[in-house]
Amino acid sequence: MREADEQYFETLETELESAMDVAQRARQRGGDPEPEVEIPTARDMADRVENILGIDGVAERVRELEGEMSREEAALELVEDFVEGTVGDYDTREGKVEGAVRTAVALLTEGVVAAPIEGIDRVELLENDDGTEFINVYYAGPIRSAGGTAQALSVLVADYARALLGIDQYRAREEEIGRYAEEIDLYDKDTGLQYSPKEKETKFIAEHMPIMLDGEATGDEEVSGYRDLERVDSNSARGGMCLVLAEGIALKAPKIQRYTRNLDEVDWPWLQDLIDGTIGKDGEADQGEASESASGETASDAGTDDDGDEDPSEEQAGPPRVEPAKKYLRDLIAGRPVFSHPSKSGGFRLRYGRARNHGFATAGVHPATMHLVDDFLATGTQIKTERPGKAAGVVPVDTIEGPTVRLANGDVRRIDDAEEALEVRNGVEKILDLGEYLVNYGEFVENNHPLAPASYTVEWWEQDFEAAGADVQAMRDSPTVDLADPSAEEALEWASEYDAPLHPKYTYLWHDVSVEQMGALADAIDEGRVAHTDGAVVEGPGSAAADGDLVLPRTDDARAALERLLVEHSQDEDRLVVPDWLPLVRTLGFDRSLERTWAIEDLSDRAKTYGEQEAADAIGYVDDELGDEAGRNAVLAVDEVSPFEIRERAPTRIGNRMGRPEKSERRDLSPAVHTLFPIGEAGGAQRSVADATKHADSMSETPGRVEVEVARRRCPDCATETHEARCPECDAVAETVYVCPDCETEVEPDESGRAECGRCETLASPTQYTELDIREIYRDALQSVGERETAFDTLKAVKGLTSEEKLPEPMEKGILRAKHDVSAFKDGTVRYDMTDLPVTAVRPAELDVDPDRLRHLGYETDIHGDPLTRADQLVELKVQDIVLSDGAAEHMLQTAAFVDDLLEQYYGLDPYYEFDDREELVGELVFGMAPHTSAATVGRVVGFTSAAVGYAHPYFHAAKRRNCFHPETRLWHRDEDDEWAYGTIEELVESRLDDPEADDFGTLMQELDGDVAVPSLGADGPCRRPVEAVSKHPAPDHLVRVEVGDRTLRVTPDHTMLRAGADGVEEVPASDIDVGDDLPAYDGGETTMTGAGAAVPVADGAGVPTDAVTAVEYVESDVDHVYCLTVADTHRVAVEGTYVGQCDGDEDCVMLLMDGLLNFSKSYLPNKRGGQMDAPLVMSSRIDPSEIDDEAHNMDIMDRYPREFYEATRELADPAEVEDVMTIAEETLGTDREYTDFRHTHDTTDLAAGPDLSAYKTLGSMEEKMDAQLSLSRKLRAVVESDVAERIIEYHFLPDLIGNLRAFSRQEVRCLDCGESYRRMPLTGDCRECGGRVNLTVHEGSVTKYIDTAIRVADEFGARDYTKQRLKILERSIESVFENDHNKQSGIADFM
Amino acid sequence: MPLSTPARIVSELASRGYNAERDAVTKLADAPDPERALDRALETMPDDALKLTADHVDSALDRGESRADATAGGRPTTDGTTESSATADPPISTGTDSPSSPDTGGDVPPETRGSRDVDLSKRAIEVANDMTGNSTGTGEYSDFVSVFRDRYEKLASKLRGRVNHRPTDAIQNMTGGSEAALIGMVSDIRSTASGHWLVELEDTNGTFPCLVMKDRPIADLVQQLLLDEVIAVDGTLADDAGILFVDSMYFPDVPRTHSPSTADRHVQAALISDVHVGSQEFMADAWHRFTDWLHSPEAEHVEYLLVAGDMVEGVGIYPDQDEELDIVDIYEQYERFSEYLKEVPGDMEIRMIPGNHDAVRLAEPQPGFDEELRDIMTAHDAQVHSNPALVTVEGVTVLMYHGVSLDEVIAELPDEEASYEEPHKAMYQLLKKRHVAPQYGGHTRLAPEDRDYLVMEEVPDVFHTGHVHKLGWGKYHNVLALNSGCWQAQTDFQKSVNIDPDAGFAPILDLDTLDMTVRKFA
Repeated sequence: MREADEQYFETLETELESAMDVAQRARQRGGDPEPEVEIPTARDMADRVENILGIDGVAERVRELEGEMSREEAALELVEDFVEGTVGDYDTREGKVEGAVRTAVALLTEGVVAAPIEGIDRVELLENDDGTEFINVYYAGPIRSAGGTAQALSVLVADYARALLGIDQYRAREEEIGRYAEEIDLYDKDTGLQYSPKEKETKFIAEHMPIMLDGEATGDEEVSGYRDLERVDSNSARGGMCLVLAEGIALKAPKIQRYTRNLDEVDWPWLQDLIDGTIGKDGEADQGEASESASGETASDAGTDDDGDEDPSEEQAGPPRVEPAKKYLRDLIAGRPVFSHPSKSGGFRLRYGRARNHGFATAGVHPATMHLVDDFLATGTQIKTERPGKAAGVVPVDTIEGPTVRLANGDVRRIDDAEEALEVRNGVEKILDLGEYLVNYGEFVENNHPLAPASYTVEWWEQDFEAAGADVQAMRDSPTVDLADPSAEEALEWASEYDAPLHPKYTYLWHDVSVEQMGALADAIDEGRVAHTDGAVVEGPGSAAADGDLVLPRTDDARAALERLLVEHSQDEDRLVVPDWLPLVRTLGFDRSLERTWAIEDLSDRAKTYGEQEAADAIGYVDDELGDEAGRNAVLAVDEVSPFEIRERAPTRIGNRMGRPEKSERRDLSPAVHTLFPIGEAGGAQRSVADATKHADSMSETPGRVEVEVARRRCPDCATETHEARCPECDAVAETVYVCPDCETEVEPDESGRAECGRCETLASPTQYTELDIREIYRDALQSVGERETAFDTLKAVKGLTSEEKLPEPMEKGILRAKHDVSAFKDGTVRYDMTDLPVTAVRPAELDVDPDRLRHLGYETDIHGDPLTRADQLVELKVQDIVLSDGAAEHMLQTAAFVDDLLEQYYGLDPYYEFDDREELVGELVFGMAPHTSAATVGRVVGFTSAAVGYAHPYFHAAKRRNCFHPETRLWHRDEDDEWAYGTIEELVESRLDDPEADDFGTLMQELDGDVAVPSLGADGPCRRPVEAVSKHPAPDHLVRVEVGDRTLRVTPDHTMLRAGADGVEEVPASDIDVGDDLPAYDGGETTMTGAGAAVPVADGAGVPTDAVTAVEYVESDVDHVYCLTVADTHRVAVEGTYVGQCDGDEDCVMLLMDGLLNFSKSYLPNKRGGQMDAPLVMSSRIDPSEIDDEAHNMDIMDRYPREFYEATRELADPAEVEDVMTIAEETLGTDREYTDFRHTHDTTDLAAGPDLSAYKTLGSMEEKMDAQLSLSRKLRAVVESDVAERIIEYHFLPDLIGNLRAFSRQEVRCLDCGESYRRMPLTGDCRECGGRVNLTVHEGSVTKYIDTAIRVADEFGARDYTKQRLKILERSIESVFENDHNKQSGIADFM
Repeated sequence: MPLSTPARIVSELASRGYNAERDAVTKLADAPDPERALDRALETMPDDALKLTADHVDSALDRGESRADATAGGRPTTDGTTESSATADPPISTGTDSPSSPDTGGDVPPETRGSRDVDLSKRAIEVANDMTGNSTGTGEYSDFVSVFRDRYEKLASKLRGRVNHRPTDAIQNMTGGSEAALIGMVSDIRSTASGHWLVELEDTNGTFPCLVMKDRPIADLVQQLLLDEVIAVDGTLADDAGILFVDSMYFPDVPRTHSPSTADRHVQAALISDVHVGSQEFMADAWHRFTDWLHSPEAEHVEYLLVAGDMVEGVGIYPDQDEELDIVDIYEQYERFSEYLKEVPGDMEIRMIPGNHDAVRLAEPQPGFDEELRDIMTAHDAQVHSNPALVTVEGVTVLMYHGVSLDEVIAELPDEEASYEEPHKAMYQLLKKRHVAPQYGGHTRLAPEDRDYLVMEEVPDVFHTGHVHKLGWGKYHNVLALNSGCWQAQTDFQKSVNIDPDAGFAPILDLDTLDMTVRKFA
């Protein structure tokens, strides 16, 4: 480690220690559960791994191996230790395998998830039919959290152990192979897989798998074919197994292969077939990944041959191209536009390079493009992309080429400036080209995607030029030469003098025009003349324009050719006027006086027929403009007539569409909770403490006395009984007292902390029901912090506590939180969520910080080594430094003010932060946390950005997951057609996951346009709120099942539930819900009346009716996915007749350091499985680059890609083939340079360029967004609007219509009065419970809502007849159900 | 009449952009209503035909005639027949290139009639329980309630004789320990912690919990229960009268003494289903063999054809279905089906009901086709009734039901009671419950109407279903239960779930004896 890095970490750690000191002192004083800070600093991953596994000696061995090899290799190395018995204490062979497999998974998941423990149930030795033994690994659902790579490697590890132990391979029986195929298909249909292997693929894997994959049943749905197999316990789908096979082996085959290659003992030759996609290819040629990669492979073969020799066979008549892939278009939803169809001309042009705000899963887009696509793209907006990965976050990069547009006046211009884009935006008639799209090499490595042919760009040209003998360095140094932006004369001179390819600036997109069009353009030039301009067009000095503009007769072909070539020009009725025309005509073999010496007939046959393979694109759309199938690529033709070499300017186009929008918002439970103090029902729906103080069940009771379940504790010194953490008398830390619920004797907990009554054999309880005087507690708390009630609006508490011991938080903290308008997360911390984007170098100016300030933080020099003095200098970002969004900074300031007050008024210490403005936040420490992990990372604030994202060093980045509902959870929602429907969340979400973003943990998330609304509960009572996003997540191992009356609700344990508190609705984790709690009930009334003026049932003020919880239990999760909605504003939704919170945000969050230290306590966490997720159980004070996800290691860190790389791209080389000439971060791991030298090839002026927010977020209704989406699709040359419409209907409207119609005919009903729901309509007609009115839960309106819009879109945008017929049949079905034949104007009776 | 001369017809055709054969023109001119005939001919002419041929005209006239028959009100009077032979005969005798096979009879009723000695006057067919055109439900809550009440009333009436029903609210007030009986709709089935069964029964007054002890023989019956069927129980009330301990359980059932009616003469009916025209897997050859056979002397007594749904493969039935369709256009699918139907002897009486692949609502009861589809399916004047429908053929009542509920019955019940291998056993269950699709809220979809069309009010003599693509038949209390296989070869989906369909079979039922023979054409 370099001195500077050491210093940096020491600075952080010193700062951390001093904060720790303050916090420790504070914690000793206050009423916190523990008298010390509860977030320990973890030394390293090895510790975490050993702790999570509980296998002694692992940590030591891991540390030994760590320096020497990658984690994957270490995992395999450990196998040997397990086999030899040097690690772990296993006697049996299966035990050894099990230990090795678990350790491998723990290692690969860095010891932060539960998968190694809960995801692998056991390992068994079973017998093959020939009597040999084989290994059976028994997976469970939680293996999901390990992610595909670790899942796949767990199999590899098992196989390696098997080989070392000399156990035979598994030989699958015929019916077992069939079973795998059927089961995976069933599981995919039932719960959905990120990757659905084709049947043949599955069978192929099953046949070759040397290990038997087995697992526990996770679903109810049973296979119908291959049942009751001898070696398979269950007829249900085994979720864990399916995941490992499909998302592990099948999906990550290329990754595993990387590791098998390094192992002599393990050989999986069949992986190659899997990677090549030759399996299951012959079946259907649909959009499956297998066939895609297969065709990609063929294309690559063809391309390689083509470059290799000049064999003019049919196959090689075209240029090297990657095969279009249309998978990213799947599940397109209304409101999220397609920017480009697969590989279509006019779409984004692939340029290689890494901008400084670019790293992994990001795509650099010109800010002008962001504006021109009607602001649908903003910094951090996620897009689904054709290649190399599946999704990418958009980052603004303005050093690449911007879009080319045709304005209403006929001018064709390239827009390279965001300001200009805004000016011309209204006049844009057609976006001819979306501009360049910057992708770094590492992205191809990470996705193991063959390199796609590179655009001919300045970076490449310079190297060609140099190779041609030019003294590029001298030119670079020359003040009169701009290598990137030469004049036409210069460019032509260079090309002829050095015999180098023409400069890219004047190389047009000849590959996008046909030979015919090129001929037409040449003919037009024949007739053209040079005219002096009227001075309106001013070109750069020295350009050929000095001669005047080239005026061509306007013909359709010539115009189309110019547009496709992206030659800037203007036009009127009969003329096309091209400024700076010399390179164009010279390229076409004309001389300056517009004379040419060739005719189209002179061209070689090869040139004439080059490029026919591009006849139709992936979506089956044929571009009529291009005419004949042969000769669609004029680049060879041009090369033949041109005096210099012409390269393909932009051979790779990348299709993409919008995923979900960026995010930056505070994380509140809903409603916001200020204090984790239980007040039962007394707080009303708002859970207001003030209301609770006045609450009394009857006149005879004293107001403010509330019976709640809290901790039962006793002071060890004075034996005072209390519910608080500390003894109220002597302030000693009280001890928990366990009492047997049956015999009421006290039980001493044993060593493991388990307290079981010796007599009754039941678990003793650490809690008690007691009556608290909220009024007194509130008054005392106010007094102790010296605040008045007027200091805040409402102090919101929780209804009950969900932690094991139910220790209430001191109410003082809540008062101060309320005062500063921050709210507590379930663990007592205050959090802010942000979309994560990587950045490796920053400018003080764009961060809104003073260079001096940064110098104080250790940024002494800029990236060139010059002292940092100016705000526009670029400095390399340190690994733990983060950039806050404006919103986050604002929220941090509030939190800091809260912390200061807390220290001063509650703990009696000096304030710690004392901020006046946000500049002072710079240099402060925060905790960064990825959801569903249990480790926080210390970060340091270095600045601010107006983009709605959190920029941080790529190494600071981590993956994301979230909490959700069981798929069968039903809810009301108003769909995009304004109709209300009642259906499962699965249907709701699945039908809208058109273009979801995916992450490593299997989360799919999609932003909606807000056209879907759900009943929600705001501060003013029930309301409707738009759904901003839907998502699908891997299910945790357990769900909490809450029964409310007849309805059951299954959610993840830390899902936020709403509970009626004394003063209102409070938010508590589901694991906190107890029997008897009152949950706000959703009265179907609102949706039964879909029109305006619907009566909203508000009981009194902001109150809502409530339903009591009748049962709560933890259930094994029977599904693989859970679903979630993000609801605007309120973040609440009514499901199963109950209002609950939505799921936790899936964004990474930040917490202020001192807040975490002071307020976090494990005691507040739900003592349930999953309850400790998202909580900072440990913190890492420094990032060890070797320990982070290897995604970040694949990032390239060069400032220039070599010529060999560019040339390799034209051979569609595997990224590994150019490894030698490229530098990725992996190479610096473990060296001195591991924290530095993250070089980038492209700069960008501003990290936050482009719109601050995506139009998706600023447009209102879903219909509005959809119209914007469709109108954009008409503007984009690269988009086929009818296909967009088709897909919206196919993936959005039809599933919704079909789903709702189905839901209607099998719906439940519900009592409007008491909320009781019935599976089937009661024969009594009225509610059996209360005699009230029962009504449907799915109404006609919800079924029919989309039909008209769908039919309109189908007609307007030319959907296929097939789609129209489906709509027509549906429309009739709907009529048939909802219309009375006898009341129709013309009855069928007439006909009979 | 403006179109009465061939010249005018030709110019009219030309103005519409058609060429025509001389014969075709002649035939049109000869038609009783040349204008209509011309319209029809053009309408029914295949899209890919370049020229209007005599055959087109023939088939158009033929269809027009059968339609005329239909509008005449199903009175196959001598008038009707002579008229049709008068107009249709000449073209046939002159026709040289009939569309398919030697048996041109498919298109030509008169000729077929000549070859098949059929006495139409002996035919008798009646249809009950057809709700086509009578769908009065508007999707209101009250509609649903009416349906379930109707179900309860109808089925309870079958059980009243067997137990002394006391309403649930009355039972609650009875003294503990007394004997009680109850007829109720199953609203919930749960197993208790100790393994007993708790069945909640509902009547129009409320619900009452009934406990079936696990060690009682009737516990096995609980395994066969489906939600929302109607049963009767009798037993003893618990001491607090809060629960009924069940001693015996009764199903509406088919009486063991049921004796089916038969036809008065030797006449046969072919009972098929799941033709799936439009699917790439449709077995056209098998179908041709089947229709050829119908023209053979062996089949001379087969005068009725009953199709239990899924005439075509449909569109949008499952995702990306278009990629597996032979005919992507739903109307063309019906047109093609109609063509296939024409191969059937013209005199055959054809009755059909829709299935889940047909272009009608999926919710049951499914009405028959709307006008647009009927217009396409004019061949043979095949009637499409609702699913389910009760078709009485010469005295033999055939309950036609497509069979979507069979999936659920098979899934819910133990394998020995119902399986895909023996679909008729699942049908026995439905007969026993006297309802074609009892369970609500699951796979089967329900469209509420003014009454429950799905109840088997009357015991049918034959229960005919399809849907599961497996052939199976057997008798349950003298009722013939038949699931009639399909005409679609194994699909990729079926392959993936290991289902091997029974395709290309035509069960032939002797209506006079209710004996059945299965003929294989695949």
